[in-house]
Amino acid sequence: MDRSEVFMDGFWHNNTIFAQLLGMCPLLGVTTSAENGFWMGAATVLVLLGSNLVVSLVRGMIPKNVRIPAYITIIAAFVTVVDMAMNAWMHEMYLTLGLFIPLIVVNCAILGRAEAFASKNTAFDSVIDAIGIGAGFTFALVLLGGVREVLGQGELFGFSVFGEGYPDVLMLILPPGAFIALGFILAGVNLINRSLQHRREARKDALSVGSEDKIAVEAL
Amino acid sequence: MKFDKDQLHMVLALLLVAVIAAALLGITDMFTREPIAQAQREALHRALVQVLPAHTNDPQADQLVIGSQADAVQIYPAKDERGRVTGLAWEVVAPDGYSGSIRILLGLKPDGKIQAIRVTDHRETPGLGDGIVRNMHWLASFFDKALVGTHWAVKKDGGDFDQFTGATITPRAVVGAVHDGLEFFRDHQQDILKAIEKADAERTAEEQGKGGQ
Repeated sequence: MDRSEVFMDGFWHNNTIFAQLLGMCPLLGVTTSAENGFWMGAATVLVLLGSNLVVSLVRGMIPKNVRIPAYITIIAAFVTVVDMAMNAWMHEMYLTLGLFIPLIVVNCAILGRAEAFASKNTAFDSVIDAIGIGAGFTFALVLLGGVREVLGQGELFGFSVFGEGYPDVLMLILPPGAFIALGFILAGVNLINRSLQHRREARKDALSVGSEDKIAVEAL
Repeated sequence: MKFDKDQLHMVLALLLVAVIAAALLGITDMFTREPIAQAQREALHRALVQVLPAHTNDPQADQLVIGSQADAVQIYPAKDERGRVTGLAWEVVAPDGYSGSIRILLGLKPDGKIQAIRVTDHRETPGLGDGIVRNMHWLASFFDKALVGTHWAVKKDGGDFDQFTGATITPRAVVGAVHDGLEFFRDHQQDILKAIEKADAERTAEEQGKGGQ
């Protein structure tokens, strides 16, 4: 597979949130604002990079029947490293994200990449995959956090969007708001995917029509 | 007992992974231990500056421990340049928040009235219960309140403190914890003052000892 294809596959076609609907716990739990979503995504990217890289390096050395405990140990180690680093150098964000950082361990999206990609591909490809998947996951978190922050509090990244008088829409800040906003975002993603597909099919039709014309011309 | 080759391979692989993970964590701990302690000190410092009356000492350096080990309380005294106590602060915990306990730093003036309170840790609902952090007007309503002469409850329960729209449990827990904190001060006032005097006497003795050498 081409490298840009690996990236785009992780970022869009096989996006953790939009396509696989995995990692819902951090997605719904921390996306009350775009900033929270971004840092949660960044923490996940770091863990994913570390685990994909190490798993791809040790592939072949780990016997098949103990691979899951081995991967989980590797993932848990990187999660703890990120947890301690955030506690040390980003103390306030660490307090905000709280329990959701250690919970990255059980984000099935990460174990999924170790199992489905890193254990079968080279270290370089696995890093590209981690960047693609991680960027796609972060994009989804920031998007959902941004939508909820703008509509819920009238702010984006802490800056006022609609001015002082905006009434807080509690529904969107509370957990049900996450589900509702996610539903609309998924509908939007499906619309985009469908129009992409239409365009692709239209192009294919045009090509085949073109070749038929050519045959017709040659026949004449 | 006999291991076959595959089993040995499995055990070794897991052992190796565990050892490397442990080493990685050990190294990270070495590098982050001091910055984490520093970040916690700074966070506490920021909160102490907000809840204590004007002072020139470092309340964290002068902290006192009251009570036995199980329920020991760290008291942070504020002092002016002449060493007079201008206020006290300590952390109270509300175990009955909407989601988990709420930690509150409570600052008192020498007359036993509240200077200010700040929430240092909580897991309350964003947009509802977290008003205890964001709602400055509500936080300011604690100023000058004393144990006696104040109805320590939210208005819904017939008290003096506002609840928030859609959130009563959170402010109720905070008001209750602050009230318990004031009762703790009433019951232990003498212990605290004695401890401060003792610490001062020890420091003076130490300084004189140094001066004599």
